[in-house]
Amino acid sequence: MTKRSVTHATFVIERDYAHPPAKVFAAFAHPASKAKWFVGPENWDKSNHKLDFRVGGKESVSGGPPGGAVHYYNAEIWEITQNERIVSSYEMHMNEKRTSVSLATMEFKPNGAGTKLVLTEQGAFLDGIDNAAERERGTNELLNQLATYLNT
Amino acid sequence: MTTTTHGSFIIERRYNASPERIFAAWADPKAKRAWFAEGEGWDIRSYELDFRERGTETSTFRVAGGNNPFPPNTTFSNDTVFNEIIANERIVFTYSMARDGMRFSISLATVELHAADKGTRFILTEHGAFFDGADGVKMREQGWQELLGKLDEYLAKAN
Repeated sequence: MTKRSVTHATFVIERDYAHPPAKVFAAFAHPASKAKWFVGPENWDKSNHKLDFRVGGKESVSGGPPGGAVHYYNAEIWEITQNERIVSSYEMHMNEKRTSVSLATMEFKPNGAGTKLVLTEQGAFLDGIDNAAERERGTNELLNQLATYLNT
Repeated sequence: MTTTTHGSFIIERRYNASPERIFAAWADPKAKRAWFAEGEGWDIRSYELDFRERGTETSTFRVAGGNNPFPPNTTFSNDTVFNEIIANERIVFTYSMARDGMRFSISLATVELHAADKGTRFILTEHGAFFDGADGVKMREQGWQELLGKLDEYLAKAN
């Protein structure tokens, strides 16, 4: 029998982007845009990114280092307020094991001519496989990739 | 502008019933409806439970007098998706609450069942994003306290 455990954690990341909320929001809402920055490290094998951006819609992508474990991201969108807020829940699996279930809120706030993005993740990390510090590090990397995407 | 308040709480309690009996009260649609949905002052308009991973639970309930603190005919609905189900051990689910069709919270809840002292050590952890003001999380915790008390009564009666 697996030794069960749940570790709960919340983290908040704030980022300032020199682009208006509508543009930053669009990078989350348009499948072709999100697929450009919401991806694992360059040397990873990857699946196609899929996004059905509506309340009740799903998002999925997977990937991993060549020959290594495959990481699966499966999300469901629960709330959309155009250019202001997105709330989704997502599960991560490593190979066949579910490693976490999280609630992620993205708030897009006008900040001068730009946007303050506030990302709040509230997560349940399951059976000690993954942890919040690693998740926060990975999320920061994704937001760096978002900045690069917005600036190109 | 929209405002969002985030909050979390943990409720831990002991039940005399075994983890198997508590799990069954969450898994069986008739049992779950009895303690989770039914209540004085509420008219249950619909209740459906498909208890499996990726399965859903939906309920709609309308204020129907009694000591209900909400205005007459206010309708609430709950939409749940089960993320993880491990029989007799753990249930993880995401749910939204809506009032008259407007969603006012999205939550992630985890239920852990541990056999202890011929009963169960029960832990509910909820993380929520609340859209209706800062006291949403406090009211939610209070709501769960009441529901988990009703679960206790249900288990005692069904014994």
